[in-house]
Amino acid sequence: MSDVDTIQRNLRFSQIGKSLTRTDSPGKATGRTPYAGDYVMPGMLHAKVLRADLASARLKRLDVSKARAMPGVACVLTAQDMPDRAIATDIPGQTGRARLKTDQQILVKERVRYFGEPLALIAAETADIAEKARRLIEVELEPIPGVYDPEEALKPGAPVVQGTDNVVATHKIRKGDTEAGFAAADVVVENTYITPFQEHAFLEPEVGLAWIDENEVITIRVCTQVIEHFRAVADAIGVPHNKLRIMGALVGGGFGGKEDVTVETYLAILAQKTRRPVRLEFSREDSFVGHGNRHAMKLKYRTGVTRDGKITALDVQVIADAGAYVYLSPYVLLYCAVNAPGPYRVDNLNVFARAVATNNMFTSAFRGFGGIQAAAAYEQQMDEVANAIGMDPLEFRRQNLLQTGDPISTGFVPPSAIWTEKCVELAWQALGEPAPAPGGSIRIGRGIAAFQQSYGRLTFLHDTSEAWVGIEMDGTVTVRSGVTDIGAGQASSLAQIAAEVLGVTLPNVNVYNSDSQMTPLAGTTTASRALYMTGNAARLAAQAVRDRLAEVAAELFKAEPAQIGMEFNRVLVIDDPERSMPIAELVRVCASRGVHRSELAIFRAPFTDVLDPETGQGQAHPDYAYGAHAIEVAVDTETGEVTVLKSVAAHDVGQCINRAAVEGQIHGGVQNGLGYALSEEMLYKEGRLITPSFSEYLMPTAMDMPPVASIILESRSGLGPFGSKGIGEPSMTPVAPAVANAIADAIGVRVFEMPITPERIWRALQEARARGCR
Amino acid sequence: MYAEFDLTIPADLPEALTALAAAGTRAVPLSGGTNVLVDIRSQRIAPDRLLDLGRVHQLREITVDRGRVTLGARTTVGDLLASGEVTRYAPALTEAARVFAGQMVRNAATVAGNVACGSPAADLVPPLLVLDAELTLSSVRGSRTLALCDFYTGYKSDQRAPDELITAISWPIPATGSFGSFYKLARRKGDAITVVGVAVSLALGGGCCGGVRIALGSVAPTPLRVSKAEAVLEGQPPTPERIAEAARAAAEECSPIDDVRATGAYRRHMVGVLVARLLTNAIQAGN
Repeated sequence: MSDVDTIQRNLRFSQIGKSLTRTDSPGKATGRTPYAGDYVMPGMLHAKVLRADLASARLKRLDVSKARAMPGVACVLTAQDMPDRAIATDIPGQTGRARLKTDQQILVKERVRYFGEPLALIAAETADIAEKARRLIEVELEPIPGVYDPEEALKPGAPVVQGTDNVVATHKIRKGDTEAGFAAADVVVENTYITPFQEHAFLEPEVGLAWIDENEVITIRVCTQVIEHFRAVADAIGVPHNKLRIMGALVGGGFGGKEDVTVETYLAILAQKTRRPVRLEFSREDSFVGHGNRHAMKLKYRTGVTRDGKITALDVQVIADAGAYVYLSPYVLLYCAVNAPGPYRVDNLNVFARAVATNNMFTSAFRGFGGIQAAAAYEQQMDEVANAIGMDPLEFRRQNLLQTGDPISTGFVPPSAIWTEKCVELAWQALGEPAPAPGGSIRIGRGIAAFQQSYGRLTFLHDTSEAWVGIEMDGTVTVRSGVTDIGAGQASSLAQIAAEVLGVTLPNVNVYNSDSQMTPLAGTTTASRALYMTGNAARLAAQAVRDRLAEVAAELFKAEPAQIGMEFNRVLVIDDPERSMPIAELVRVCASRGVHRSELAIFRAPFTDVLDPETGQGQAHPDYAYGAHAIEVAVDTETGEVTVLKSVAAHDVGQCINRAAVEGQIHGGVQNGLGYALSEEMLYKEGRLITPSFSEYLMPTAMDMPPVASIILESRSGLGPFGSKGIGEPSMTPVAPAVANAIADAIGVRVFEMPITPERIWRALQEARARGCR
Repeated sequence: MYAEFDLTIPADLPEALTALAAAGTRAVPLSGGTNVLVDIRSQRIAPDRLLDLGRVHQLREITVDRGRVTLGARTTVGDLLASGEVTRYAPALTEAARVFAGQMVRNAATVAGNVACGSPAADLVPPLLVLDAELTLSSVRGSRTLALCDFYTGYKSDQRAPDELITAISWPIPATGSFGSFYKLARRKGDAITVVGVAVSLALGGGCCGGVRIALGSVAPTPLRVSKAEAVLEGQPPTPERIAEAARAAAEECSPIDDVRATGAYRRHMVGVLVARLLTNAIQAGN
């Protein structure tokens, strides 16, 4: 069990690898932490957004005169007041590559393309006045035929959402010879898996406060994962990049839903127009249509396999619903294509994936980012193929799992360890004895799912991250970095890393973060990259400071710099610890000698070109994380109700920085994944969301959660600081297919569409009975 | 939340009834607020006046007297769970209270509010129906009692006059040997709106069923008793065939619709499954 419990080995670290109290915890536990919505300013206005209540329409009339005339209304803006303004919706990265034609009108000029698209902005002295004014705006929309199903949208003559056709992006991956592979197969298994839209449903809906400072800088305090949208917002409102500043706050949940611009543009425009502070808070209903959701996908898998369990060929066809605007669809789709075979060796591979525009809500980033839809399909397909050849699903996986040093679908060899097999074994073992069958209509079932999920952004985006570390005269440490903290302890991790390197204890480190003009730019908190990228930058900066301090200490102690140790706020000679002094004393000596006590470091991810457009071969990501999830369920075969009894996660995280934070990510990933698998459903009727509240959109509650066991492996092979990998997205990726496989194991038939509701289970059983299967 | 309304906060019941009589037809009594405030926020209702009953404390008592259990109308769902009398004399109601929303809502939501909201999915109503519960409706004109099974007249419409308040809910202490239960079928375990709710109650005597009551939620415009299904078992020995027939009759008697939670077809089938299951359990418990 030495691989399982690496706490012992972590003893060589004094600050990382342990469950230390995070720097953000006391404020959150006591309720003192101010979130973006808690900030107010004297004389501030309150804003509201008026939205379209049709998904496909022409704006015939928008009369705001009554609203404008209302006492207490400061301004009402429509597209007529800003005819040329649009906001970029994709990320060009640092390649200098041109953006896709993806700009979205900030307010509807003529054509409404999705339900909830903003028509007007209102700012007033109070939120109630703004709401009353919103209700005074007269809107006339003329419905025009829309398209709400991506397969329909691909047909000739289908309504075109915008541009010339509805195909938003296409990705291909071609490897080996699938024709020969299928010819060599004993059995070919073909299935289509359907994955649903999903809403991020963070506790904290989008909110922000904007004002113009003494230097005419439009300043926005907002909950976001990406303060670096300051560029896009500045471009949208026509001010220089250095005159727009975005400050974050601790964020009440992101999950990808605060990765795109949300309230920032509206706030900037209103502040610019009124020259007063303006606050805008989305209601929950606004939030449901205020950010892109997870792409619903249809994934057709055709697998060729030999009787003895070797995959000979795989053909995957994917259609993703991109909704009405492009946003991150091309990238989400690319993740799906790259991960289509999962963590398995497939020499003969053909992937053809398309993202298609519809008049549904636009879709964009969500934890797992395309990789999770692929996992939902490939792991169910692995079980189906194993069943088809009569092989144990674990044994079938063992025979095909990637091992360290194997190339993935794109031909790229991940530089780190691939410990999937170990994770599969440990997670399965940890389920222990099956729950006793209670009899009657209840059946017990178990499922496993392995996965591959990247951490770090697409390498053709040429990602960089900066951090500054300095040590003060009293031995305390300051970290400055633009990184946004979305609740996973991103800032605290930097503190823990700096503490480890500089030999101080965690309470002696303070992090200033999330300010686009005042902290060094660190990039996004997305793509499971914050620890990998900014953690490395912080480590580099701290190491540079440490090296300078160690040199002076070596001189003072008459030792070699390599013999200098720093821990628990003291500097010492490793072989002769009696020779020591407080680090603060050393810093004062350094200061008197003019030694540079701070460092600004940049970390660069690998830079590549895009994948080959025809074969998809090349490098897409810096590296990948691997692991597995095991689930045990009880299913009532009469009603279709599912109870999740056991949930075991096994992940190689490379290296824990904060063990409790890793476990927290795993617990959250399980909750998020169970909802995806079982209950969360965004239903649209002609593009209109008919489940826009938490009484209809059903996330698992505390009463629905099983006990969650976490097996945390540390291969120390990742590209992050101290060999760490990302865990934010990976924690969720395998959960849903593990649930699906457990249900199929329990009832003997598979429900191919998520969420696997009681009714879908009931129907699948009815159909199976009708076919005479059971 | 943006809404405009007048607010009256009466100090006691007579003041409340007077205020209600004076307020006209667009006043809404407010107690726990777990439905009313949600409906106002979503603009489903726009009352002119809210009558906040928060200070009418005498309506929050649970009493057992002369063979009847009586709940003051402002008894909360949480109060039901804390009451030994309710557990003893209305186990089906306790089961419904246990799966009612989540703890925060249970602390605020009242029994009368759940009855008065008229939702087909009101979880407390099927158990109260199988208890033969009666409502006391009071106004400045006086008080009257009404059987709960006669209260609803259609989807979200009922016999309460605009000047009346539900002030009490009562039921006879069930006969010794009777057994009641409730099951909530929903899409998740906490804070869920019911897809199908079933309550049953019966007593076994001399090998035959007596006092058979079967009530359903979320499968018709109102919660309802299915009397044809009840009649199949009443006075009869509970054979598996009769239970199946009663379940079939219950499924036929309801009229479920498709909505975001489930289809009508699934609901109807589940009525059959759950009625059979609850009857079987009740009979096993009775034996």
